[in-house]
Amino acid sequence: MSNSFILGTDNAPSHMIELMYRMKVWDVMTRELRVGSRTSTLAELQGIMRDNNISGIPIAEGGRLYGIISMDDIIRCLQQGAMGDSAADRMTKNVISLEDDMPLSFAISTMEKHRFGRFPVLNKHGELVGILTSRDILVHLLIAMNKEMALLESSLNPQPTSEAGGVLIREYTTRKFDFENAGKASTEIKKILVDRGIGSKIARKVAVASYELEMNQVCHSLGGTLSFKLTEETAEIVAQDLGPGIEDLESALIEGWSTANEWVRSLGFGAGMGLPNTKRVSDEFSISGGPSGTRVVTSFRLRAEPSV
Amino acid sequence: MRYDRIVQALTATVHYSCHTFEEAEVTNFVASDLMSDVLVLDDEEFLLITSLSTEQSIRTADIVGARGVLLVNNKKPQPGMLALATELNKTLLATPERMFRTCAILGCILREEGHLD
Repeated sequence: MSNSFILGTDNAPSHMIELMYRMKVWDVMTRELRVGSRTSTLAELQGIMRDNNISGIPIAEGGRLYGIISMDDIIRCLQQGAMGDSAADRMTKNVISLEDDMPLSFAISTMEKHRFGRFPVLNKHGELVGILTSRDILVHLLIAMNKEMALLESSLNPQPTSEAGGVLIREYTTRKFDFENAGKASTEIKKILVDRGIGSKIARKVAVASYELEMNQVCHSLGGTLSFKLTEETAEIVAQDLGPGIEDLESALIEGWSTANEWVRSLGFGAGMGLPNTKRVSDEFSISGGPSGTRVVTSFRLRAEPSV
Repeated sequence: MRYDRIVQALTATVHYSCHTFEEAEVTNFVASDLMSDVLVLDDEEFLLITSLSTEQSIRTADIVGARGVLLVNNKKPQPGMLALATELNKTLLATPERMFRTCAILGCILREEGHLD
Protein backbone atom coordinates (compact mmCIF):
# COMPACT_ATOMS: atom_id res chain seq x y z
CA MET A 1 0.00 0.00 0.00
CA SER A 2 1.39 3.37 -0.92
CA ASN A 3 0.79 5.04 2.44
CA SER A 4 1.95 2.08 4.48
CA PHE A 5 3.71 2.99 7.70
CA ILE A 6 7.39 2.95 6.92
CA LEU A 7 8.71 1.83 10.28
CA GLY A 8 8.13 -1.88 9.85
CA THR A 9 10.14 -4.32 11.91
CA ASP A 10 10.57 -6.82 9.07
CA ASN A 11 13.50 -5.29 7.25
CA ALA A 12 14.89 -3.02 9.96
CA PRO A 13 18.54 -3.30 11.03
CA SER A 14 19.02 -5.24 14.27
CA HIS A 15 19.80 -2.07 16.22
CA MET A 16 16.45 -0.55 15.20
CA ILE A 17 14.53 -3.71 16.04
CA GLU A 18 16.20 -3.81 19.44
CA LEU A 19 15.27 -0.16 19.94
CA MET A 20 11.62 -0.75 18.99
CA TYR A 21 11.41 -3.63 21.47
CA ARG A 22 13.25 -1.80 24.24
CA MET A 23 11.06 1.31 24.02
CA LYS A 24 7.59 1.00 25.52
CA VAL A 25 4.39 2.81 24.62
CA TRP A 26 4.67 4.82 27.87
CA ASP A 27 8.05 6.18 26.73
CA VAL A 28 6.54 7.92 23.71
CA MET A 29 2.83 8.51 24.37
CA THR A 30 1.35 11.95 25.02
CA ARG A 31 0.25 12.11 28.66
CA GLU A 32 -1.43 15.51 28.61
CA LEU A 33 -4.90 14.48 27.59
CA ARG A 34 -7.82 16.50 26.32
CA VAL A 35 -10.93 14.41 26.84
CA GLY A 36 -14.63 14.84 26.32
CA SER A 37 -17.51 13.26 28.23
CA ARG A 38 -20.44 11.31 26.81
CA THR A 39 -22.70 14.33 27.25
CA SER A 40 -20.35 16.76 25.45
CA THR A 41 -21.84 18.10 22.23
CA LEU A 42 -19.98 17.75 18.95
CA ALA A 43 -19.72 21.56 18.81
CA GLU A 44 -17.97 21.61 22.21
CA LEU A 45 -15.61 18.84 21.15
CA GLN A 46 -14.79 20.65 17.92
CA GLY A 47 -13.88 23.70 20.03
CA ILE A 48 -11.51 21.64 22.18
CA MET A 49 -9.92 20.10 19.09
CA ARG A 50 -9.47 23.48 17.44
CA ASP A 51 -8.03 25.15 20.56
CA ASN A 52 -5.56 22.33 21.15
CA ASN A 53 -4.73 21.66 17.52
CA ILE A 54 -5.63 17.97 17.71
CA SER A 55 -7.52 15.78 15.27
CA GLY A 56 -9.26 13.38 17.62
CA ILE A 57 -10.51 13.27 21.18
CA PRO A 58 -11.19 10.35 23.54
CA ILE A 59 -14.50 10.28 25.35
CA ALA A 60 -13.78 9.22 28.91
CA GLU A 61 -15.14 9.68 32.40
CA GLY A 62 -13.17 8.97 35.57
CA GLY A 63 -10.43 7.28 33.58
CA ARG A 64 -12.83 4.92 31.85
CA LEU A 65 -12.73 5.09 28.07
CA TYR A 66 -16.11 5.03 26.31
CA GLY A 67 -15.20 5.94 22.76
CA ILE A 68 -13.44 8.38 20.47
CA ILE A 69 -14.53 11.28 18.29
CA SER A 70 -12.34 12.04 15.26
CA MET A 71 -12.23 14.90 12.77
CA ASP A 72 -14.18 12.67 10.34
CA ASP A 73 -17.06 12.44 12.85
CA ILE A 74 -17.07 16.24 13.22
CA ILE A 75 -17.16 16.78 9.43
CA ARG A 76 -19.99 14.29 9.08
CA CYS A 77 -22.04 16.07 11.78
CA LEU A 78 -21.30 19.46 10.19
CA GLN A 79 -22.67 18.17 6.88
CA GLN A 80 -25.73 16.77 8.62
CA GLY A 81 -26.25 19.84 10.80
CA ALA A 82 -25.94 17.64 13.85
CA MET A 83 -23.35 19.54 15.86
CA GLY A 84 -25.71 19.65 18.83
CA ASP A 85 -25.69 15.85 19.11
CA SER A 86 -23.95 14.35 22.12
CA ALA A 87 -20.68 12.42 21.92
CA ALA A 88 -22.43 9.27 23.14
CA ASP A 89 -24.56 9.21 19.98
CA ARG A 90 -21.76 9.84 17.53
CA MET A 91 -18.55 8.37 18.92
CA THR A 92 -16.79 5.24 17.70
CA LYS A 93 -17.41 2.83 20.51
CA ASN A 94 -15.40 -0.10 19.32
CA VAL A 95 -12.05 1.56 19.96
CA ILE A 96 -8.73 -0.16 19.35
CA SER A 97 -6.55 0.77 22.30
CA LEU A 98 -2.98 0.04 23.31
CA GLU A 99 -1.53 -0.83 26.70
CA ASP A 100 1.13 1.37 28.16
CA ASP A 101 3.66 -1.41 28.81
CA MET A 102 3.55 -2.77 25.24
CA PRO A 103 6.79 -2.59 23.26
CA LEU A 104 6.83 0.10 20.59
CA SER A 105 7.17 -2.57 17.89
CA PHE A 106 3.72 -3.86 18.85
CA ALA A 107 2.22 -0.37 18.70
CA ILE A 108 3.78 0.13 15.25
CA SER A 109 2.29 -3.08 13.88
CA THR A 110 -1.10 -2.21 15.38
CA MET A 111 -0.93 1.17 13.63
CA GLU A 112 -0.01 -0.52 10.37
CA LYS A 113 -2.95 -2.89 10.69
CA HIS A 114 -5.68 -0.41 11.65
CA ARG A 115 -4.49 2.88 10.16
CA PHE A 116 -6.17 5.19 12.64
CA GLY A 117 -4.52 8.50 13.35
CA ARG A 118 -4.42 7.98 17.12
CA PHE A 119 -4.74 5.23 19.66
CA PRO A 120 -5.86 5.67 23.28
CA VAL A 121 -3.46 4.07 25.76
CA LEU A 122 -4.74 2.24 28.86
CA ASN A 123 -2.81 1.11 31.93
CA LYS A 124 -3.09 -2.35 33.44
CA HIS A 125 -6.19 -1.26 35.38
CA GLY A 126 -7.90 -0.33 32.14
CA GLU A 127 -7.70 3.42 32.82
CA LEU A 128 -7.02 5.93 30.06
CA VAL A 129 -3.47 7.29 30.65
CA GLY A 130 -2.35 8.60 27.28
CA ILE A 131 -2.75 8.82 23.54
CA LEU A 132 -0.35 7.72 20.86
CA THR A 133 0.01 9.12 17.33
CA SER A 134 2.49 8.19 14.61
CA ARG A 135 4.11 11.58 15.15
CA ASP A 136 4.87 10.67 18.79
CA ILE A 137 6.58 7.51 17.57
CA LEU A 138 8.61 9.29 14.89
CA VAL A 139 9.81 12.05 17.20
CA HIS A 140 10.87 9.68 19.98
CA LEU A 141 12.44 7.19 17.60
CA LEU A 142 14.51 10.00 16.07
CA ILE A 143 15.70 11.11 19.50
CA ALA A 144 16.56 7.52 20.43
CA MET A 145 18.30 6.95 17.07
CA ASN A 146 20.40 10.07 17.61
CA LYS A 147 21.60 8.67 20.93
CA GLU A 148 22.29 5.27 19.37
CA MET A 149 24.26 6.86 16.53
CA ALA A 150 26.34 8.89 18.97
CA LEU A 151 27.14 5.70 20.89
CA LEU A 152 27.96 3.80 17.70
CA GLU A 153 30.22 6.57 16.47
CA SER A 154 32.10 6.79 19.74
CA SER A 155 32.66 3.04 19.62
CA LEU A 156 34.04 3.38 16.08
CA ASN A 157 36.64 5.94 17.06
CA PRO A 158 39.24 4.78 17.90
CA GLN A 159 38.90 1.65 15.83
CA PRO A 160 41.00 -1.49 16.09
CA THR A 161 43.61 -1.31 18.76
CA SER A 162 46.26 -3.86 19.33
CA GLU A 163 49.52 -4.15 21.10
CA ALA A 164 51.64 -7.21 20.59
CA GLY A 165 55.36 -7.83 20.65
CA GLY A 166 56.14 -4.24 21.60
CA VAL A 167 54.23 -2.85 18.60
CA LEU A 168 51.23 -0.62 19.25
CA ILE A 169 48.74 -0.06 16.44
CA ARG A 170 45.84 2.36 16.45
CA GLU A 171 43.44 3.14 13.65
CA TYR A 172 41.24 6.23 13.51
CA THR A 173 38.48 7.22 11.12
CA THR A 174 37.95 10.76 9.81
CA ARG A 175 34.85 12.14 8.13
CA LYS A 176 34.47 14.95 5.63
CA PHE A 177 33.92 18.35 7.30
CA ASP A 178 33.65 16.76 10.76
CA PHE A 179 35.50 19.59 12.46
CA GLU A 180 34.10 18.67 15.84
CA ASN A 181 36.06 15.43 15.99
CA ALA A 182 38.97 16.50 13.81
CA GLY A 183 42.17 16.35 15.80
CA LYS A 184 41.01 13.80 18.36
CA ALA A 185 43.33 11.17 16.91
CA SER A 186 46.31 13.51 17.05
CA THR A 187 45.59 14.56 20.63
CA GLU A 188 45.48 10.89 21.58
CA ILE A 189 48.62 10.02 19.63
CA LYS A 190 50.52 12.81 21.38
CA LYS A 191 49.28 11.57 24.76
CA ILE A 192 50.44 8.02 23.99
CA LEU A 193 53.91 9.31 23.07
CA VAL A 194 54.21 11.55 26.13
CA ASP A 195 52.95 8.80 28.44
CA ARG A 196 55.66 6.52 27.02
CA GLY A 197 58.34 9.02 27.87
CA ILE A 198 59.13 9.91 24.25
CA GLY A 199 60.91 13.30 24.19
CA SER A 200 58.60 16.28 23.89
CA LYS A 201 60.23 17.53 20.66
CA ILE A 202 59.69 14.23 18.87
CA ALA A 203 56.20 13.83 20.34
CA ARG A 204 55.39 17.28 19.00
CA LYS A 205 56.69 16.49 15.50
CA VAL A 206 54.64 13.29 15.28
CA ALA A 207 51.55 15.08 16.61
CA VAL A 208 51.98 17.99 14.16
CA ALA A 209 52.23 15.57 11.21
CA SER A 210 49.26 13.59 12.43
CA TYR A 211 47.17 16.74 12.95
CA GLU A 212 48.03 18.15 9.52
CA LEU A 213 47.13 14.85 7.86
CA GLU A 214 43.94 14.56 9.87
CA MET A 215 42.86 18.10 8.98
CA ASN A 216 43.71 17.46 5.33
CA GLN A 217 41.34 14.49 5.28
CA VAL A 218 38.58 16.46 7.01
CA CYS A 219 38.97 19.57 4.81
CA HIS A 220 39.70 18.06 1.42
CA SER A 221 38.82 14.37 1.18
CA LEU A 222 35.69 12.28 1.44
CA GLY A 223 37.06 10.95 4.73
CA GLY A 224 39.56 8.26 5.45
CA THR A 225 41.69 6.55 8.03
CA LEU A 226 44.76 7.41 10.01
CA SER A 227 46.86 4.44 11.12
CA PHE A 228 49.39 4.92 13.87
CA LYS A 229 52.11 2.34 14.48
CA LEU A 230 54.56 2.65 17.33
CA THR A 231 57.60 0.42 17.85
CA GLU A 232 60.61 0.84 20.11
CA GLU A 233 62.52 2.70 17.37
CA THR A 234 59.97 4.39 15.15
CA ALA A 235 56.55 5.96 14.96
CA GLU A 236 54.71 5.69 11.66
CA ILE A 237 51.54 7.37 10.47
CA VAL A 238 49.74 6.22 7.35
CA ALA A 239 46.94 8.49 6.15
CA GLN A 240 44.69 6.90 3.55
CA ASP A 241 41.67 8.79 2.27
CA LEU A 242 38.75 7.80 0.06
CA GLY A 243 39.36 10.36 -2.69
CA PRO A 244 38.77 12.44 -4.73
CA GLY A 245 42.56 12.57 -5.03
CA ILE A 246 45.00 15.45 -5.41
CA GLU A 247 45.14 16.64 -9.01
CA ASP A 248 48.65 17.94 -8.83
CA LEU A 249 50.74 16.11 -6.23
CA GLU A 250 53.86 18.16 -6.90
CA SER A 251 52.08 21.47 -6.39
CA ALA A 252 50.48 20.20 -3.20
CA LEU A 253 53.94 20.04 -1.67
CA ILE A 254 54.62 23.71 -2.36
CA GLU A 255 53.96 25.99 0.62
CA GLY A 256 50.94 28.20 0.15
CA TRP A 257 49.41 26.14 -2.67
CA SER A 258 45.86 25.56 -1.54
CA THR A 259 42.56 24.37 -2.91
CA ALA A 260 40.69 25.09 0.33
CA ASN A 261 37.52 27.15 0.17
CA GLU A 262 36.85 30.25 2.26
CA TRP A 263 34.77 28.30 4.73
CA VAL A 264 37.62 25.92 5.55
CA ARG A 265 39.97 28.90 5.86
CA SER A 266 37.60 30.61 8.27
CA LEU A 267 38.06 27.62 10.55
CA GLY A 268 41.78 28.27 10.72
CA PHE A 269 43.00 25.81 8.12
CA GLY A 270 43.60 25.56 4.42
CA ALA A 271 46.63 27.84 4.19
CA GLY A 272 48.38 25.40 1.91
CA MET A 273 50.90 24.49 4.58
CA GLY A 274 49.61 21.04 5.55
CA LEU A 275 51.59 18.68 3.34
CA PRO A 276 54.79 20.76 3.23
CA ASN A 277 54.71 21.02 7.01
CA THR A 278 54.10 17.29 7.39
CA LYS A 279 57.09 16.66 5.17
CA ARG A 280 59.18 19.16 7.15
CA VAL A 281 58.64 17.47 10.49
CA SER A 282 58.91 13.87 9.22
CA ASP A 283 62.10 11.83 8.97
CA GLU A 284 60.62 9.96 6.05
CA PHE A 285 57.73 11.09 3.88
CA SER A 286 56.02 9.67 0.82
CA ILE A 287 52.80 10.44 -1.00
CA SER A 288 50.98 8.48 -3.67
CA GLY A 289 47.53 7.93 -5.04
CA GLY A 290 44.94 8.75 -7.65
CA PRO A 291 41.28 9.70 -7.89
CA SER A 292 40.28 6.84 -5.61
CA GLY A 293 42.36 8.19 -2.77
CA THR A 294 45.61 9.64 -1.54
CA ARG A 295 48.03 7.80 0.71
CA VAL A 296 50.64 9.58 2.80
CA VAL A 297 53.22 7.60 4.76
CA THR A 298 55.35 9.39 7.34
CA SER A 299 57.78 7.99 9.85
CA PHE A 300 59.85 9.30 12.71
CA ARG A 301 62.94 8.01 14.50
CA LEU A 302 62.32 8.00 18.20
CA ARG A 303 65.92 7.64 19.40
CA ALA A 304 68.51 10.37 19.76
CA GLU A 305 66.43 13.49 20.14
CA PRO A 306 68.49 16.27 18.59
CA SER A 307 69.58 18.94 21.01
CA VAL A 308 68.35 22.30 19.73
CA MET B 1 54.81 38.01 32.94
CA ARG B 2 52.27 36.44 35.25
CA TYR B 3 48.77 35.58 34.13
CA ASP B 4 47.22 37.98 36.63
CA ARG B 5 49.05 40.84 34.91
CA ILE B 6 47.76 39.71 31.49
CA VAL B 7 44.22 39.43 32.84
CA GLN B 8 44.41 42.88 34.41
CA ALA B 9 45.99 44.64 31.41
CA LEU B 10 43.48 43.18 28.95
CA THR B 11 40.43 43.10 31.26
CA ALA B 12 40.33 39.45 30.32
CA THR B 13 37.98 36.74 31.52
CA VAL B 14 39.54 33.52 32.79
CA HIS B 15 37.48 30.66 31.39
CA TYR B 16 39.90 27.96 32.48
CA SER B 17 43.15 28.19 34.40
CA CYS B 18 45.73 25.44 33.98
CA HIS B 19 47.36 23.74 36.97
CA THR B 20 50.38 26.09 36.88
CA PHE B 21 48.30 29.24 36.34
CA GLU B 22 49.46 30.97 39.55
CA GLU B 23 53.20 30.57 39.11
CA ALA B 24 53.60 30.43 35.30
CA GLU B 25 55.89 33.02 33.71
CA VAL B 26 54.67 33.77 30.17
CA THR B 27 57.30 35.35 27.96
CA ASN B 28 56.31 34.21 24.49
CA PHE B 29 53.17 34.85 22.47
CA VAL B 30 52.05 33.77 19.01
CA ALA B 31 49.19 35.66 17.37
CA SER B 32 47.35 34.02 14.46
CA ASP B 33 43.89 33.12 13.27
CA LEU B 34 45.36 30.49 10.97
CA MET B 35 46.20 27.33 12.86
CA SER B 36 48.22 26.11 9.88
CA ASP B 37 50.63 28.99 10.55
CA VAL B 38 50.95 28.01 14.19
CA LEU B 39 51.72 24.39 13.37
CA VAL B 40 54.83 25.31 11.37
CA LEU B 41 56.48 27.11 14.31
CA ASP B 42 59.14 25.72 16.62
CA ASP B 43 58.22 28.01 19.55
CA GLU B 44 57.31 26.40 22.83
CA GLU B 45 55.29 27.27 25.92
CA PHE B 46 53.72 30.32 24.32
CA LEU B 47 50.25 31.73 24.74
CA LEU B 48 48.27 31.51 21.49
CA ILE B 49 46.43 34.76 20.70
CA THR B 50 43.59 34.17 18.25
CA SER B 51 40.00 34.96 17.43
CA LEU B 52 39.27 31.35 16.49
CA SER B 53 36.89 30.26 19.25
CA THR B 54 36.59 26.58 18.30
CA GLU B 55 38.08 23.32 19.59
CA GLN B 56 40.74 23.52 16.90
CA SER B 57 42.68 26.34 18.55
CA ILE B 58 42.87 24.32 21.80
CA ARG B 59 43.92 21.21 19.86
CA THR B 60 46.57 23.21 18.05
CA ALA B 61 47.82 24.62 21.38
CA ASP B 62 48.04 21.09 22.77
CA ILE B 63 49.79 19.63 19.71
CA VAL B 64 52.52 22.29 19.68
CA GLY B 65 52.87 22.42 23.46
CA ALA B 66 51.51 25.94 23.94
CA ARG B 67 50.40 27.04 27.41
CA GLY B 68 46.93 28.03 26.37
CA VAL B 69 44.74 30.28 24.26
CA LEU B 70 43.85 33.96 24.58
CA LEU B 71 40.71 34.81 22.61
CA VAL B 72 40.50 38.36 21.29
CA ASN B 73 37.71 40.48 19.75
CA ASN B 74 35.30 39.72 22.57
CA LYS B 75 34.89 36.14 21.38
CA LYS B 76 33.21 33.72 23.73
CA PRO B 77 34.58 30.17 23.74
CA GLN B 78 32.20 27.64 22.23
CA PRO B 79 31.06 25.01 24.78
CA GLY B 80 33.16 22.32 23.12
CA MET B 81 36.20 24.56 23.25
CA LEU B 82 35.88 25.12 26.98
CA ALA B 83 35.35 21.41 27.60
CA LEU B 84 38.46 20.56 25.60
CA ALA B 85 40.56 23.23 27.35
CA THR B 86 39.58 21.66 30.67
CA GLU B 87 40.30 18.15 29.40
CA LEU B 88 43.72 19.06 28.03
CA ASN B 89 44.58 21.48 30.87
CA LYS B 90 45.08 24.50 28.60
CA THR B 91 44.53 27.96 30.03
CA LEU B 92 41.68 29.74 28.25
CA LEU B 93 41.35 33.53 28.47
CA ALA B 94 39.16 35.97 26.55
CA THR B 95 39.54 39.71 26.12
CA PRO B 96 37.28 42.33 24.53
CA GLU B 97 40.40 43.95 23.02
CA ARG B 98 41.14 43.52 19.34
CA MET B 99 44.09 41.52 18.08
CA PHE B 100 46.42 44.47 17.38
CA ARG B 101 45.77 46.27 20.67
CA THR B 102 46.17 43.01 22.57
CA CYS B 103 49.57 42.46 20.97
CA ALA B 104 50.60 46.07 21.53
CA ILE B 105 49.64 45.96 25.24
CA LEU B 106 51.45 42.65 25.78
CA GLY B 107 54.45 43.97 23.82
CA CYS B 108 54.72 46.95 26.17
CA ILE B 109 54.72 44.67 29.21
CA LEU B 110 57.32 42.36 27.63
CA ARG B 111 59.59 45.36 26.98
CA GLU B 112 59.04 46.71 30.48
CA GLU B 113 59.95 43.33 31.95
CA GLY B 114 63.04 43.14 29.79
CA HIS B 115 62.00 40.28 27.52
CA LEU B 116 62.23 42.35 24.34
CA ASP B 117 65.42 43.93 23.09
